Amino acid sequence: MATRLAGYYAQAANEFGVVGRMKLAMLTKIPSERAATEPDSPAHIQAFEQALKQLRAGAR
Amino acid sequence: MKIATKLQLLFAGIVAVFVLSVAVLIAQMSALSGGYDAVLASPVRDMDQARVIQVNFKKEVQEWKDTLLRGYNPKDLATYSGQFRAKEAAVRDGAVALSKTVHDDQARQLLNQFIAADDVMSAKYQRAFDVFVAGDADFKAADKLVRGQDRPPTDLFDKVVSRLETKVQATVAAQQQSARRNLLVALGFSGALLIVLGLMGFLTVRSIVKRLARLHAVSARLAQADVEGLSIDISGKDEIGEFGESMAGVHAAIEELLHAAQAPVPAAA
Repeated sequence: MATRLAGYYAQAANEFGVVGRMKLAMLTKIPSERAATEPDSPAHIQAFEQALKQLRAGAR
Repeated sequence: MKIATKLQLLFAGIVAVFVLSVAVLIAQMSALSGGYDAVLASPVRDMDQARVIQVNFKKEVQEWKDTLLRGYNPKDLATYSGQFRAKEAAVRDGAVALSKTVHDDQARQLLNQFIAADDVMSAKYQRAFDVFVAGDADFKAADKLVRGQDRPPTDLFDKVVSRLETKVQATVAAQQQSARRNLLVALGFSGALLIVLGLMGFLTVRSIVKRLARLHAVSARLAQADVEGLSIDISGKDEIGEFGESMAGVHAAIEELLHAAQAPVPAAA
Protein backbone atom coordinates (compact mmCIF):
# COMPACT_ATOMS: atom_id res chain seq x y z
CA MET A 1 0.00 0.00 0.00
CA ALA A 2 1.54 3.30 -1.16
CA THR A 3 0.44 5.69 1.51
CA ARG A 4 3.03 8.28 0.61
CA LEU A 5 2.07 8.33 -3.04
CA ALA A 6 -1.61 8.66 -2.13
CA GLY A 7 -0.59 11.53 0.15
CA TYR A 8 0.88 13.38 -2.82
CA TYR A 9 -2.51 13.21 -4.54
CA ALA A 10 -4.18 14.60 -1.44
CA GLN A 11 -1.71 17.46 -1.40
CA ALA A 12 -2.28 18.19 -5.07
CA ALA A 13 -6.04 18.13 -4.61
CA ASN A 14 -5.83 20.44 -1.61
CA GLU A 15 -3.58 22.91 -3.37
CA PHE A 16 -4.82 22.82 -6.97
CA GLY A 17 -8.07 20.85 -7.04
CA VAL A 18 -8.95 18.36 -9.77
CA VAL A 19 -6.64 20.11 -12.22
CA GLY A 20 -3.76 19.48 -9.80
CA ARG A 21 -4.61 15.77 -9.63
CA MET A 22 -4.83 15.59 -13.39
CA LYS A 23 -1.48 17.31 -13.84
CA LEU A 24 0.14 15.13 -11.16
CA ALA A 25 -1.10 12.03 -12.95
CA MET A 26 0.13 13.40 -16.28
CA LEU A 27 3.60 14.19 -14.92
CA THR A 28 4.08 10.95 -12.97
CA LYS A 29 2.14 8.71 -15.39
CA ILE A 30 0.56 7.10 -12.29
CA PRO A 31 -3.11 7.94 -11.57
CA SER A 32 -4.28 8.02 -7.95
CA GLU A 33 -5.99 4.65 -8.19
CA ARG A 34 -2.72 3.00 -9.20
CA ALA A 35 -0.71 5.17 -6.79
CA ALA A 36 -2.67 3.57 -3.96
CA THR A 37 -1.41 0.15 -4.92
CA GLU A 38 2.10 0.94 -6.16
CA PRO A 39 4.98 0.56 -3.67
CA ASP A 40 6.50 3.68 -2.07
CA SER A 41 9.72 3.15 -3.92
CA PRO A 42 12.42 5.84 -3.93
CA ALA A 43 11.97 6.28 -7.68
CA HIS A 44 8.23 6.84 -7.35
CA ILE A 45 8.67 9.22 -4.41
CA GLN A 46 11.26 11.21 -6.33
CA ALA A 47 8.94 11.38 -9.37
CA PHE A 48 6.02 12.62 -7.26
CA GLU A 49 8.16 15.14 -5.37
CA GLN A 50 9.47 16.48 -8.64
CA ALA A 51 5.99 16.67 -10.13
CA LEU A 52 4.60 18.53 -7.11
CA LYS A 53 7.47 20.99 -7.27
CA GLN A 54 6.69 21.54 -10.94
CA LEU A 55 3.01 22.11 -10.14
CA ARG A 56 3.85 24.61 -7.43
CA ALA A 57 6.35 26.39 -9.66
CA GLY A 58 3.72 26.63 -12.41
CA ALA A 59 1.18 28.07 -9.99
CA ARG A 60 3.43 30.99 -8.96
CA MET B 1 19.36 6.11 -30.25
CA LYS B 2 17.21 8.77 -31.93
CA ILE B 3 15.45 7.84 -35.16
CA ALA B 4 17.06 10.84 -36.88
CA THR B 5 20.50 9.57 -35.80
CA LYS B 6 19.66 6.04 -37.03
CA LEU B 7 18.53 7.38 -40.40
CA GLN B 8 21.61 9.59 -40.66
CA LEU B 9 23.84 6.62 -39.87
CA LEU B 10 22.02 4.53 -42.47
CA PHE B 11 22.46 7.27 -45.05
CA ALA B 12 26.14 7.62 -44.11
CA GLY B 13 26.48 3.84 -44.44
CA ILE B 14 24.95 3.89 -47.93
CA VAL B 15 27.30 6.70 -48.95
CA ALA B 16 30.26 4.80 -47.44
CA VAL B 17 29.31 1.62 -49.34
CA PHE B 18 28.98 3.63 -52.54
CA VAL B 19 32.37 5.31 -52.01
CA LEU B 20 34.00 1.98 -51.09
CA SER B 21 32.48 0.28 -54.12
CA VAL B 22 33.73 3.06 -56.40
CA ALA B 23 37.20 2.86 -54.79
CA VAL B 24 37.30 -0.93 -55.22
CA LEU B 25 36.09 -0.56 -58.82
CA ILE B 26 38.80 2.02 -59.57
CA ALA B 27 41.43 -0.23 -57.98
CA GLN B 28 40.17 -3.20 -60.04
CA MET B 29 40.24 -1.17 -63.25
CA SER B 30 43.72 0.06 -62.45
CA ALA B 31 44.94 -3.50 -61.78
CA LEU B 32 43.26 -4.74 -64.96
CA SER B 33 44.75 -1.95 -67.04
CA GLY B 34 48.19 -2.57 -65.48
CA GLY B 35 47.91 -6.28 -66.24
CA TYR B 36 47.06 -5.69 -69.88
CA ASP B 37 49.81 -3.06 -70.14
CA ALA B 38 52.25 -5.74 -68.95
CA VAL B 39 50.90 -8.17 -71.57
CA LEU B 40 51.31 -5.51 -74.27
CA ALA B 41 54.76 -4.51 -72.98
CA SER B 42 56.39 -7.94 -73.26
CA PRO B 43 54.71 -10.98 -74.87
CA VAL B 44 52.71 -8.99 -77.43
CA ARG B 45 55.69 -6.79 -78.33
CA ASP B 46 57.87 -9.91 -78.75
CA MET B 47 55.17 -11.40 -80.93
CA ASP B 48 54.97 -8.26 -83.11
CA GLN B 49 58.74 -8.23 -83.57
CA ALA B 50 58.73 -11.90 -84.50
CA ARG B 51 56.01 -11.30 -87.11
CA VAL B 52 58.08 -8.50 -88.67
CA ILE B 53 61.13 -10.79 -88.86
CA GLN B 54 59.01 -13.59 -90.33
CA VAL B 55 57.69 -11.29 -93.06
CA ASN B 56 61.21 -9.97 -93.76
CA PHE B 57 62.48 -13.52 -94.05
CA LYS B 58 59.82 -14.38 -96.63
CA LYS B 59 60.67 -11.18 -98.52
CA GLU B 60 64.37 -12.09 -98.37
CA VAL B 61 63.67 -15.43 -100.05
CA GLN B 62 61.43 -13.67 -102.59
CA GLU B 63 64.21 -11.16 -103.35
CA TRP B 64 66.61 -14.07 -103.93
CA LYS B 65 64.20 -15.59 -106.43
CA ASP B 66 63.83 -12.21 -108.17
CA THR B 67 67.62 -11.97 -108.29
CA LEU B 68 67.86 -15.32 -110.05
CA LEU B 69 64.90 -14.69 -112.35
CA ARG B 70 65.76 -11.15 -113.43
CA GLY B 71 69.49 -10.94 -112.63
CA TYR B 72 70.53 -11.48 -116.25
CA ASN B 73 70.05 -7.72 -116.53
CA PRO B 74 72.92 -6.00 -114.63
CA LYS B 75 70.65 -3.19 -113.47
CA ASP B 76 68.04 -5.62 -112.12
CA LEU B 77 70.81 -7.75 -110.62
CA ALA B 78 72.06 -4.76 -108.67
CA THR B 79 68.49 -3.82 -107.58
CA TYR B 80 67.32 -7.27 -106.49
CA SER B 81 70.59 -8.38 -104.96
CA GLY B 82 70.68 -5.08 -103.04
CA GLN B 83 67.15 -5.66 -101.78
CA PHE B 84 68.07 -9.24 -100.92
CA ARG B 85 71.07 -8.04 -98.86
CA ALA B 86 68.91 -5.44 -97.12
CA LYS B 87 66.29 -8.01 -96.13
CA GLU B 88 68.99 -10.47 -95.13
CA ALA B 89 70.50 -7.85 -92.80
CA ALA B 90 67.07 -6.86 -91.45
CA VAL B 91 66.26 -10.50 -90.63
CA ARG B 92 69.55 -11.10 -88.90
CA ASP B 93 69.53 -7.82 -86.94
CA GLY B 94 65.91 -8.33 -85.97
CA ALA B 95 66.51 -11.92 -84.84
CA VAL B 96 69.59 -10.94 -82.80
CA ALA B 97 67.73 -8.01 -81.19
CA LEU B 98 64.72 -10.18 -80.36
CA SER B 99 66.92 -12.93 -78.91
CA LYS B 100 68.30 -10.35 -76.46
CA THR B 101 64.94 -8.96 -75.35
CA VAL B 102 62.56 -11.91 -75.64
CA HIS B 103 60.97 -12.87 -72.30
CA ASP B 104 60.73 -16.59 -72.96
CA ASP B 105 63.71 -18.95 -72.63
CA GLN B 106 62.38 -21.52 -75.09
CA ALA B 107 61.75 -18.83 -77.71
CA ARG B 108 65.27 -17.49 -77.12
CA GLN B 109 66.77 -20.93 -77.73
CA LEU B 110 64.77 -21.33 -80.94
CA LEU B 111 65.86 -17.85 -82.05
CA ASN B 112 69.51 -18.73 -81.50
CA GLN B 113 69.02 -21.89 -83.55
CA PHE B 114 67.36 -19.80 -86.25
CA ILE B 115 70.27 -17.31 -86.30
CA ALA B 116 72.73 -20.17 -86.72
CA ALA B 117 70.62 -21.73 -89.51
CA ASP B 118 70.24 -18.33 -91.15
CA ASP B 119 74.02 -17.85 -91.10
CA VAL B 120 74.46 -21.21 -92.85
CA MET B 121 71.81 -20.27 -95.39
CA SER B 122 73.38 -16.85 -96.01
CA ALA B 123 76.79 -18.43 -96.67
CA LYS B 124 75.20 -20.81 -99.20
CA TYR B 125 73.29 -17.98 -100.83
CA GLN B 126 76.54 -16.05 -101.14
CA ARG B 127 78.24 -19.00 -102.88
CA ALA B 128 75.25 -19.44 -105.15
CA PHE B 129 75.29 -15.73 -105.94
CA ASP B 130 78.96 -15.92 -106.87
CA VAL B 131 78.21 -18.90 -109.15
CA PHE B 132 75.30 -17.01 -110.66
CA VAL B 133 77.44 -13.95 -111.45
CA ALA B 134 80.43 -15.98 -112.64
CA GLY B 135 78.24 -18.24 -114.77
CA ASP B 136 76.68 -15.37 -116.71
CA ALA B 137 73.35 -15.50 -114.94
CA ASP B 138 73.13 -19.28 -114.83
CA PHE B 139 70.20 -19.40 -112.49
CA LYS B 140 69.86 -23.18 -112.66
CA ALA B 141 73.36 -23.76 -111.30
CA ALA B 142 72.85 -21.14 -108.60
CA ASP B 143 69.44 -22.47 -107.64
CA LYS B 144 70.78 -25.99 -107.40
CA LEU B 145 73.16 -24.84 -104.67
CA VAL B 146 70.45 -23.32 -102.43
CA ARG B 147 67.33 -25.28 -103.30
CA GLY B 148 65.48 -26.10 -100.07
CA GLN B 149 68.03 -24.26 -97.95
CA ASP B 150 65.42 -21.84 -96.64
CA ARG B 151 63.35 -24.68 -95.14
CA PRO B 152 65.28 -25.21 -91.86
CA PRO B 153 65.34 -21.50 -90.90
CA THR B 154 61.71 -21.11 -92.02
CA ASP B 155 60.61 -24.05 -89.87
CA LEU B 156 62.66 -22.77 -86.94
CA PHE B 157 61.15 -19.32 -87.15
CA ASP B 158 57.64 -20.76 -87.47
CA LYS B 159 58.37 -22.51 -84.17
CA VAL B 160 59.51 -19.20 -82.63
CA VAL B 161 56.27 -17.51 -83.72
CA SER B 162 54.21 -20.46 -82.55
CA ARG B 163 55.95 -20.45 -79.17
CA LEU B 164 55.42 -16.71 -78.75
CA GLU B 165 51.77 -17.06 -79.78
CA THR B 166 51.30 -19.71 -77.11
CA LYS B 167 52.98 -17.41 -74.60
CA VAL B 168 50.68 -14.50 -75.51
CA GLN B 169 47.61 -16.71 -75.28
CA ALA B 170 48.70 -18.08 -71.90
CA THR B 171 49.44 -14.58 -70.58
CA VAL B 172 46.11 -13.23 -71.82
CA ALA B 173 44.29 -16.24 -70.32
CA ALA B 174 46.05 -15.68 -66.98
CA GLN B 175 45.14 -12.00 -67.13
CA GLN B 176 41.51 -12.81 -67.90
CA GLN B 177 41.41 -15.27 -65.03
CA SER B 178 42.91 -12.68 -62.72
CA ALA B 179 40.36 -10.10 -63.90
CA ARG B 180 37.51 -12.56 -63.31
CA ARG B 181 38.84 -13.37 -59.83
CA ASN B 182 39.21 -9.68 -58.97
CA LEU B 183 35.72 -8.98 -60.28
CA LEU B 184 34.30 -11.74 -58.08
CA VAL B 185 36.16 -10.36 -55.06
CA ALA B 186 34.85 -6.85 -55.77
CA LEU B 187 31.30 -8.13 -56.29
CA GLY B 188 31.49 -10.24 -53.14
CA PHE B 189 32.83 -7.35 -51.09
CA SER B 190 30.22 -4.88 -52.36
CA GLY B 191 27.47 -7.48 -52.09
CA ALA B 192 28.38 -8.33 -48.49
CA LEU B 193 28.42 -4.65 -47.56
CA LEU B 194 25.08 -4.08 -49.25
CA ILE B 195 23.55 -7.11 -47.53
CA VAL B 196 24.77 -5.93 -44.11
CA LEU B 197 23.52 -2.41 -44.80
CA GLY B 198 20.24 -3.69 -46.21
CA LEU B 199 19.72 -5.90 -43.16
CA MET B 200 20.45 -3.02 -40.80
CA GLY B 201 18.07 -0.77 -42.75
CA PHE B 202 15.38 -3.44 -42.78
CA LEU B 203 15.67 -4.07 -39.02
CA THR B 204 15.65 -0.32 -38.28
CA VAL B 205 12.60 0.34 -40.46
CA ARG B 206 10.80 -2.74 -39.11
CA SER B 207 11.43 -1.63 -35.51
CA ILE B 208 10.20 1.90 -36.25
CA VAL B 209 7.11 0.67 -38.11
CA LYS B 210 6.20 -1.85 -35.39
CA ARG B 211 6.47 0.73 -32.62
CA LEU B 212 4.59 3.31 -34.69
CA ALA B 213 1.82 0.75 -35.17
CA ARG B 214 1.61 0.27 -31.38
CA LEU B 215 1.57 4.03 -30.91
CA HIS B 216 -1.18 4.33 -33.49
CA ALA B 217 -3.25 1.68 -31.70
CA VAL B 218 -2.86 3.53 -28.37
CA SER B 219 -3.77 6.90 -29.87
CA ALA B 220 -6.80 5.34 -31.60
CA ARG B 221 -8.07 4.00 -28.27
CA LEU B 222 -7.44 7.35 -26.56
CA ALA B 223 -9.29 9.12 -29.38
CA GLN B 224 -12.24 6.80 -28.72
CA ALA B 225 -11.99 7.49 -24.94
CA ASP B 226 -11.42 3.77 -24.56
CA VAL B 227 -8.98 3.88 -21.66
CA GLU B 228 -10.30 0.91 -19.73
CA GLY B 229 -7.43 -1.55 -19.33
CA LEU B 230 -5.28 0.41 -21.75
CA SER B 231 -1.59 -0.33 -21.34
CA ILE B 232 1.02 1.86 -22.97
CA ASP B 233 4.21 -0.08 -23.26
CA ILE B 234 6.20 1.92 -25.76
CA SER B 235 9.67 2.48 -24.39
CA GLY B 236 12.92 3.57 -25.95
CA LYS B 237 15.23 6.54 -26.06
CA ASP B 238 14.13 7.76 -29.45
CA GLU B 239 11.32 10.04 -30.65
CA ILE B 240 8.77 7.20 -30.58
CA GLY B 241 9.75 6.33 -26.98
CA GLU B 242 9.35 9.98 -25.98
CA PHE B 243 5.98 10.13 -27.71
CA GLY B 244 4.95 6.93 -25.93
CA GLU B 245 5.91 8.52 -22.59
CA SER B 246 3.75 11.55 -23.39
CA MET B 247 0.89 9.23 -24.32
CA ALA B 248 1.31 7.45 -20.98
CA GLY B 249 1.02 10.83 -19.22
CA VAL B 250 -2.12 11.70 -21.15
CA HIS B 251 -3.57 8.29 -20.37
CA ALA B 252 -2.83 8.70 -16.66
CA ALA B 253 -4.40 12.19 -16.68
CA ILE B 254 -7.58 10.88 -18.35
CA GLU B 255 -7.79 8.02 -15.86
CA GLU B 256 -7.33 10.48 -13.03
CA LEU B 257 -10.07 12.75 -14.36
CA LEU B 258 -12.41 9.78 -14.71
CA HIS B 259 -11.54 8.68 -11.22
CA ALA B 260 -12.02 12.21 -9.86
CA ALA B 261 -15.45 12.30 -11.42
CA GLN B 262 -16.36 9.04 -9.70
CA ALA B 263 -14.49 8.99 -6.40
CA PRO B 264 -13.31 11.38 -3.71
CA VAL B 265 -9.69 12.38 -3.28
CA PRO B 266 -7.68 9.60 -1.58
CA ALA B 267 -6.95 10.33 2.03
CA ALA B 268 -3.46 11.48 2.93
CA ALA B 269 -1.36 9.22 5.15
